Amino acid sequence: MLLPLAIRPYPLRVATVIFMWAALAGSWNLLAGYAGAVDLGPVVYYGLGAFVTAAGMVKGGWPFIVSAAVAGVVAMIIAFLVGTPTLRLRGAYFAIGTLALAESGKQLALAWDRLTKIPLTGGSAGISLPLTRGYTLFYYVMLTLMAAVVATALWLRDSRFGYGLRAVGENDRLAEASGVDIHGLKRRVYVGSALVIALTGGTAGYWLSYVNAAEVFSASVTFQMVVMTLLGGLGTPLGPVLGAAFLTLCSEFLGTRFVYHYLIAIGVIIVIIPLFLPAGLVGLPRLWRGERAPGSA
Amino acid sequence: MKILDVRKVRKQFGALVALHDVDLTLEEGEILGVIGPNGAGKSTLFNIVAGLDNPTAGAVYFRGRSTAGLGADAVCRLGIAKTFQIPQLYPRLRVEENVLVAALYGHGSDLATGRKDARDWLAFVGLGAKADSPADSLSVSERRRADLARVLATGAPLLLLDENMAGLNQAEVDGVVRLLREVRARGRSLLVTEHIMQAILDLADRVVVLNYGEKIAEGRPADVMRDPVVVKAYLGDAVV
Repeated sequence: MLLPLAIRPYPLRVATVIFMWAALAGSWNLLAGYAGAVDLGPVVYYGLGAFVTAAGMVKGGWPFIVSAAVAGVVAMIIAFLVGTPTLRLRGAYFAIGTLALAESGKQLALAWDRLTKIPLTGGSAGISLPLTRGYTLFYYVMLTLMAAVVATALWLRDSRFGYGLRAVGENDRLAEASGVDIHGLKRRVYVGSALVIALTGGTAGYWLSYVNAAEVFSASVTFQMVVMTLLGGLGTPLGPVLGAAFLTLCSEFLGTRFVYHYLIAIGVIIVIIPLFLPAGLVGLPRLWRGERAPGSA
Repeated sequence: MKILDVRKVRKQFGALVALHDVDLTLEEGEILGVIGPNGAGKSTLFNIVAGLDNPTAGAVYFRGRSTAGLGADAVCRLGIAKTFQIPQLYPRLRVEENVLVAALYGHGSDLATGRKDARDWLAFVGLGAKADSPADSLSVSERRRADLARVLATGAPLLLLDENMAGLNQAEVDGVVRLLREVRARGRSLLVTEHIMQAILDLADRVVVLNYGEKIAEGRPADVMRDPVVVKAYLGDAVV
């Protein structure tokens, strides 16, 4: 697994895609699965990361790592400014607010060059990045990002911060009355996940060597993060990884065999899994042992 | 030294005045009972003192410090913790973890100390054997005790107990009264509201009576219960 030199390019590429989605879904899971705040606009940091990284490399002439780091810092600053008011919204209002934010981000990216006269996003045409040799850099970067997210989720299981966050997710009024600064805790998670998502977006943009606003700000990126997390297991450290692996492999397997109809099969799978595994794929071993999954009536 | 000083607190919901310029003080180590018929404003007062609600006018001082502008979490860390009338839980956490959150954030403990404190307070309220159970497996009476363990674990010197005995049988009420005396002996001050009159009379050093958001009487429990104004508020004119 850690020796990409030993395997061929195709499995390596699929593994990289899985790690990328696991990092993205895992970041979403930290806020939604633990703190109970459903963010429908995480893609805004993916798009932001992609464009800032691209601008750094193409316009600034900086190396990839430096550009990605700058993108991460920019995403954290914006997440802090955006999170301060929006994280005070509860439930559906937070979801709608963040969804609107992501759409505004897309429109801003499309209009940026025209509005500011500073050519960065290339409008609807997008921008191209320098081509790279091989896949190993992306494999390792995505693997690192996924590992960081999983390690964070594991740490939340038994840490002061994790207990505070789970308390907020389970009953925010009670958490507040017990001394938990709900807003401060949520904001730290929001800013942290913005960092990971921006780094992932920047890496993905460089990998594909092409970034355009309609794609990197697409709501479908958000929804894929949500679906993978729910399929794998919300609020569990490994759920998003399982969900990302499962859905990516399904798409690869079915997509190559049933080019025109595979999305129908994917849709059926997405409906069937929650019916039998309400806790997600992480509940599979329990099902095998014949126990009733928690949450099923 | 006064631990709590409520000055001219008013709460208005539109045209309805829920609290009418209420004054109230509590000395260190004192147990003050707040009684009154349903809708008298007891819970509104408690929510304002705990920072869960803001007064329309007036102010609340904890050891001389105004709590104006502080959220419920900051008020808790400052030293005022309140139980819930309908006991609240984190259903998917274990009982011990429920109390642990209060120790970690209300008291500022580290994980090891917090765990030990959580276990100790659960044993204190008689739930030691339930520490590892899922929180949503507790009965109503156990939930009330777990909520008590939670406010104790915050380390707050002032505890507000909002009808902590509702729904308990006589033996359980006696148990809670003994427990609260022990809590006071350990240096906490208590502001208690309760419908079970006998429990309040046994427990409180002093009683304040609210009716339609106004303070109508204050004094030693036995004296207050003989006050004609109080009897009238509870039972109506015909009795007096």
